[in-house]
Amino acid sequence: MDNLKITIALIIAVLLQWTLRNVAEPLGYIDLPLIIVVYAALQRDAVKAVLFGTFSGLAVDALSGGLLGANGFSKTLVAFVVSELARRVYMDNLLLRIPVIAGASLLDDMLYYGLHRLFGQEPNVPVLATISYSLIATTIAGTVIFLLLDFTLSEKVRKPKREMFPSRRQTRRRNPIRLGK
Amino acid sequence: MTPWLVIVLLLGNFMLMAFDARQIDSGQRVIRVWGQTVADFVQSPVTTVTSSMSGYFSSISNLRSAQDENTLLKNHVQELEVELKGKEELAAENQRLKSLLDLKGSSKYKVLTARIIGRDPSVWFDSSIIDRGSLDGVKLNMPVVTNGGLVGRVTAVGPLTSQVDMITRDKSGVGGVIGEISASSALGVISGTSKKDIVEMRYVAGSYDVQPGQVVYTTGQDGIYPAGLKIGEIVEVISGSATTPHRIFVRPSAGLTSMQEVAVLLYEPPVKSEFEQKLPNATKSGQK
Repeated sequence: MDNLKITIALIIAVLLQWTLRNVAEPLGYIDLPLIIVVYAALQRDAVKAVLFGTFSGLAVDALSGGLLGANGFSKTLVAFVVSELARRVYMDNLLLRIPVIAGASLLDDMLYYGLHRLFGQEPNVPVLATISYSLIATTIAGTVIFLLLDFTLSEKVRKPKREMFPSRRQTRRRNPIRLGK
Repeated sequence: MTPWLVIVLLLGNFMLMAFDARQIDSGQRVIRVWGQTVADFVQSPVTTVTSSMSGYFSSISNLRSAQDENTLLKNHVQELEVELKGKEELAAENQRLKSLLDLKGSSKYKVLTARIIGRDPSVWFDSSIIDRGSLDGVKLNMPVVTNGGLVGRVTAVGPLTSQVDMITRDKSGVGGVIGEISASSALGVISGTSKKDIVEMRYVAGSYDVQPGQVVYTTGQDGIYPAGLKIGEIVEVISGSATTPHRIFVRPSAGLTSMQEVAVLLYEPPVKSEFEQKLPNATKSGQK
């Protein structure tokens, strides 16, 4: 059931990515499909994550002026790296996921730009500014979307709500008055 | 199993990129056409809804000042403002369409007016999607213009929509001439810069006298655009010498950042002779 829900979330993300830049230019800096791909990768299902990465990347490439397959390549690799990382390192804490989204966005953008340079199709935009804006926008949007997905999609994450922050050890205090007696 | 799947997917994407990079200037990309056709069902309604919503919200924001001035006449002013705003939008649209119709009347070529319904989903490029496709007679590489000047060319055609690449793209390569083609021989090639509203004209010999304010037109020698289309005005010249060319920066006159309607010129360049096709830098025979 979770698979279906995340797939629907990915389809919505791709549709929004197709249309949001038409509504307002700055919204184009948010990489919505990447956020969902990273979320899927963090569920430790590498196969699902890389397939999501490829298909969402190709869907974005289909309407982009860039090379067909560039987003597919970068998102597939990002999905694989994140899912492998999630298998080895504990990352069920939202605070730990924020640098993961930022790192994924940075890696995705650098791969996308590098692939275009490799094939002699350099984009005509200020590279550092574009990567920085994209990093900030995707990280902020990703954090919010992760929270939303955690609270709406995943049943198992809803239960241990306290896991967002390290749990405090609870001990029963002894009554000093009783001790005196 | 996963590493193998990743390797297969990465290889597949890499092959697609290699194929696309080779075909980017001449070929039609099938996946792109499918994507556009599917996206059209989403983009057209979203564009309609968002434009009407932004019109509504801008009307409401205009009303705030009226509210402060006279609360008694609030409702009346609101109605008038909304009506006025709607009429202003209609008038502006009417003006734009009229200018495109003027272009249609004055142009030597058949003109097909189109609306921009979508923009590049990636921030790295700046192509646009228009609501005209092969069913309307649009073909690959047809020039796209506004009443101001040249916009770019069609790079992918679906049945209902087409993708347009702007002249600001690095690889656009429009043949340009400073001044009228019959009166000048200062020829060069227009290509994009890192600025969205400036293009660069290269390879103009340093011996020519070039000044800011001069107008640049298409030469018709690039095999895509017809001659005589206005590209823009020169805004800056870094003078060359007898041995080095000028660096000329041109502001496109088409208003690329704000356009909502464009016109596709149903123009097909003359077919090259057999001799020209055999030249080393010409497109190889058999390739489309």
